[in-house]
Amino acid sequence: MLEAVEGSAAIAKAVALCRPQVISAYPITPQTHIVENLASLVADGQLRAEMVSVESEFSAASVVLGAAASGSRAYTASSAQGILLMTEVLYNIAGLRIPLVLTCANRAISAPVSAWNDQQDSMSVRDAGWIQLYCASNQEAVDTTIQAFRIAERTELPVMVCVDGYILTHTLEPIDIPAQGQVDAFLPPYRFSRALDPVRPISIGNLVTPEYYAEARYAHHHALLRAKDEIEAADRDWAKISGRRSGGLLSVEGRDDARIGILTIGSVIGTLADAREEYPDRPAKLLKLRSMRPFPVDAIRQACRGLSDLIVLERALSMGSGGIIGTEVRGALFGEPNPPRVHNFAAGLGGRDMPLEIYPRLLKAAEAPTPTRFEIMDVEMEKLPETER
Amino acid sequence: MAADEKKSLFELRRTQPAFRGLEAGHLACQGCGQALGARLVTEAAGPDVIVANATGCLEVFTTAWPRTAWRVPWMHSLFENAPAIASGIEAGLKAQGRLAKVVAMGGDGGTFDIGLQALSGMLERNHNVLYVCFDNEAYMNTGIQRSSSTPHAAATTTSPSGTERMGKRHLKKDLLSIIAAHHIPYAATATVAYPSDLRKKVRRGLEIEGAAFLLVHSPCPLGWGHDGALTIEVARLAVETGVFPVLEMERGDVVAVMQIRKVRPVSDYLKLQARFSHLFKESPEARVELEHLQALADHHIEVYGLRGTSPDPRDSEGADTVRRGGLRWA
Amino acid sequence: MGVKTQGAGPVTLTRGAFAHAGSSLGLKTGDWRVTRPVHLHRASPCHNACPAGENPQAYLALVEEDPHAAWESLVSANPLPAVTGRVCHHPCEIECNRGKFDEPVAIHAIERFLGDRAIEHGWDYPVGKPASDAPEVAVVGAGPAGLSAAYHLSRRGYLVTLFEAASEPGGLLRGAIPPYRLPRPVVEREIERLLSIGIRFEPNRRLGRDMILADLEKSFRAVFLAPGAERGREWSVGGVVPRDLRNGLELLQEWLSIGSLPKYQRVAIIGGGNTSVDLARVLKFNGVPEVHVISFRTRPGPGVSPDEAMPALAREIRQAIEEGVMIDDCRGVTRLILRGEQVVGVEMVHMKELPQRDGTRKPVAFEGTETVLHVDHVIPAIGEEVEPFGMEAVLGAHQFFPVDAEGQVQGHRGIFAGGDARLGGGTVSDAVGDGRRAAEAIDRYIRGVAAAAQAAPASIGIGELNLNYFDHAPRAGIIFLAPEKRNAETEIEAPLGAGEVARESERCFSCGECMACDNCWTLCPDNAVLKTTEMASDGSHYLFDYDYCKGCGLCAHECPVGFIAMVDEP
Repeated sequence: MLEAVEGSAAIAKAVALCRPQVISAYPITPQTHIVENLASLVADGQLRAEMVSVESEFSAASVVLGAAASGSRAYTASSAQGILLMTEVLYNIAGLRIPLVLTCANRAISAPVSAWNDQQDSMSVRDAGWIQLYCASNQEAVDTTIQAFRIAERTELPVMVCVDGYILTHTLEPIDIPAQGQVDAFLPPYRFSRALDPVRPISIGNLVTPEYYAEARYAHHHALLRAKDEIEAADRDWAKISGRRSGGLLSVEGRDDARIGILTIGSVIGTLADAREEYPDRPAKLLKLRSMRPFPVDAIRQACRGLSDLIVLERALSMGSGGIIGTEVRGALFGEPNPPRVHNFAAGLGGRDMPLEIYPRLLKAAEAPTPTRFEIMDVEMEKLPETER
Repeated sequence: MAADEKKSLFELRRTQPAFRGLEAGHLACQGCGQALGARLVTEAAGPDVIVANATGCLEVFTTAWPRTAWRVPWMHSLFENAPAIASGIEAGLKAQGRLAKVVAMGGDGGTFDIGLQALSGMLERNHNVLYVCFDNEAYMNTGIQRSSSTPHAAATTTSPSGTERMGKRHLKKDLLSIIAAHHIPYAATATVAYPSDLRKKVRRGLEIEGAAFLLVHSPCPLGWGHDGALTIEVARLAVETGVFPVLEMERGDVVAVMQIRKVRPVSDYLKLQARFSHLFKESPEARVELEHLQALADHHIEVYGLRGTSPDPRDSEGADTVRRGGLRWA
Repeated sequence: MGVKTQGAGPVTLTRGAFAHAGSSLGLKTGDWRVTRPVHLHRASPCHNACPAGENPQAYLALVEEDPHAAWESLVSANPLPAVTGRVCHHPCEIECNRGKFDEPVAIHAIERFLGDRAIEHGWDYPVGKPASDAPEVAVVGAGPAGLSAAYHLSRRGYLVTLFEAASEPGGLLRGAIPPYRLPRPVVEREIERLLSIGIRFEPNRRLGRDMILADLEKSFRAVFLAPGAERGREWSVGGVVPRDLRNGLELLQEWLSIGSLPKYQRVAIIGGGNTSVDLARVLKFNGVPEVHVISFRTRPGPGVSPDEAMPALAREIRQAIEEGVMIDDCRGVTRLILRGEQVVGVEMVHMKELPQRDGTRKPVAFEGTETVLHVDHVIPAIGEEVEPFGMEAVLGAHQFFPVDAEGQVQGHRGIFAGGDARLGGGTVSDAVGDGRRAAEAIDRYIRGVAAAAQAAPASIGIGELNLNYFDHAPRAGIIFLAPEKRNAETEIEAPLGAGEVARESERCFSCGECMACDNCWTLCPDNAVLKTTEMASDGSHYLFDYDYCKGCGLCAHECPVGFIAMVDEP
């Protein structure tokens, strides 16, 4: 049943439906509403969970790590500086192969301070060894959150569900909040094979010498690659219950004969879809990248077959290099026969507006004789001192 | 015969009269105070305990994969988050309705310095966790660098003595007062020189519902520069000189101290350790620092009321004595 | 459990690199070691000091838990603990390391407790009946040396015939020690049980009167002579003696056997030994108004070496003074003041025993310090010697038996001697020790085995103990009868109760011997000390696991009793 809910409240409800046993978080805008909603649910007795309000994101991540290692289903959420502060723990959680779910309410990174949205935070920890799923809508955020617990627990990998701050978290939308029975049918109780237990005492977090470190990294990397199947399966299975798909690893939408594709990530896909309706004469395929990690190389190759140009639009960058996703997409297409030309743009940084007009401008840019290796859109040079133009 | 003996030793190890959560085969240096301290803690805690261990010597020397010396469930995450890991484990157990004790362990680096914030959080939230800090007064794992717990005038690799310096310029952080300010149910100090006292305090800390803190003075033969055979001797002298006060606090108030009947001069303690050897060279600066350390010990004795009056030389409730047949009092 | 391996291949990585509990045991850290701890039994000072050869530390360890076992340990050396617990000068307590910490352990009181307990419960001596065809040994004299020899020979399976000149056994225990020190029932009950182990006792058989030594030598494989020293030494002052001169030992024996004493008013007893002091006290108890003891030695006390002190027990001298006996120490008698042949006084002079050019010590009189003591009797008690009658062949011109280290009379194979009759003999405990050593020597002699030359190991000193583990604790307060309540018959020293004995035994430092305190087991940072399920007090229930011991030496340093030593790796 559809109800008009703020994104954060919907995510909180989805989390609660997954029956987490321990929730720990530290407040940071724009994640706060999620945690506040969860706290209310706990306070009202609608959610039986240990709510641990900690003194930093570092501890928030650590508390959920300890809780999950003890055998409890655990959840946390953060944004921006919070994600960076907990980075050391994020790597640690993943390396220890501890399943838990974190919602990243995406926000730009300081300095300069920005309280607005982009995805530099989650993109900065893309190498932490987590599964990273990006949501295009609040409905997807709800469904992905539920799927995330199952994926995490089956793969013994942590899952970061990335939701654009404000754009999704603070927006009221009609959302179908699943029934408890639906979620219970999808997500069995958490049983962790390596739980800390005096009956079967093991040591977790050992020192590994050079003789085995590479093997440990290999195992972790391949666990992420193998997680593709679980991500697809979770989406499929949840669709059987909910009737909705969230796009697996990568979803493609548009006319078969379209020769230009736009690959993007997160909520901007909605803007592009609306814009395409505004500009019906310029149909482009829209490639929605849901799984940043594992990176779906095969799906991208598949989706790009028949395209002459692929525009990659992202909301973060790797300073001194360029686009992050664009670079990886180029890498994925390397060696393909007749790959599309890849044009890479970053936009919407630090909450910069992304109007519908972005759509024709992207298509126009793709007409350039040489593909744009990377460019930040809408930079107004006159705002910069001459030395920095 | 040798083979039989080995087999019987192996069997014997399985049937020791006390459960020991830390097994032989670990890689601690000879005479390591921390290895002893950690084992004594597990001995008092029993097998139904989960340990969260901060990065440090203890973590490294016990758990080089594929082996571990721990016989209790144990987890190491990072340097600065052991209290938060322990908080999470405790919350997780509570959520599951499981009963197990939770002990967090860290060195002075992980406790006084990098993990202090997480510790403060854990104490403030009053998690039912006993946090044990093995205080060896420097970063030993990385090669003896000064920490905020390093005593004044002690030489470390980052606070060396030289023509212009007499070791560490700053004072040892008064962590206990910081802990006391958290108003937690139980906090105490102990030392490996008094195992009965240490075990008693571990049990007390675990019995009490809520957060408990135990600071265990743990000599490091390598970092302090003394023979491994003298670990207990050095730890004992720290108590007898007033350098390390042994006490118990409830809700931040000192409720008991191990008194010293025969107070010994701090030089008795210092001269056994190479980290203080520069204080025994003839120089006005050395003399000043020696007197300074004596004054600090005297200050402890005064503010904590350590001077005892009972016939027992250390007024230790018998914590220091042994009895025929191993009948220790705790 | 442990690390999974696939055949001879490498260890398989676990998820997240976790490890199984206790798998560190696979790593043998013992190869770091350059020195290793070993258990080392060290001689305790009390053991080394005991003339009777007792190991007090061994029975102190047992007394609280199992007094019977403690007694058996005690009587493995000394069959007369109820006696020696009372009359010994207990050098064990003088040497006791605890004496350098606070006060020595009251070993004698515990020895007495065990002896009394055995009498009370009628505990049998742990001796089997000898075989009927066992070799036979004769023991002459049923004093402490003879009784000890007979007992230890029986323990070794010999058939022993014990000859005694008197009608009852005991020797000087019965004949020379007053009952306020050693009650007669104690002597009787201890000896009675001792003889019942199968010793053939022949009373009223005096050598030279009722039998001759040559016959004994023929009938027995060996002979042990312990006739005691009964004959008072010749005494005069410059050749002058009073007409009615009586010897001190003779007077004491007379009083002990028939209860009579001459009527004296003012008496001077010459000599600083136990006979002198005992007689002085007996006289005092019997109403003699003024009794002096004159000795050229000094009274024992702090800082006085045993060589300089009066040979009587310090405790006896102290009690004698309490009872009103006057001790004129550092004095010698230079002249008897006679009226006719009747003594009216003695002239005394300050004296001190000083070393001579030849290395011996000799009393030197200091001219100008003469004083006169008005007494009506002078009694010499300057020591006794062997009554040679019947033993001339062995004794020759000697006053005492000259014996070798084995106790064998020099030049007489198969004849051994000990106790007061031996040159250098002295106390009851020495006599008990003589008997034991002679029994061992006789055993070797009969079996034809040479003595193993063995120097007694040095005692462990207080510096080798770790005193941090001991609390100060006062010595058991031993109660003595108040001087005004004392008499010749009532024992002066009260026994300790079982509780006091237990407390006192806990004061023992257990020098050089494991006291099972668990320190090594508790303090090993490497869990390399294991404990067996057996309860032992000899250290055998702690095992070093050299697979893991890194050789840090902490256990040795913290061993309270000095029982662990670090030795170089082989």
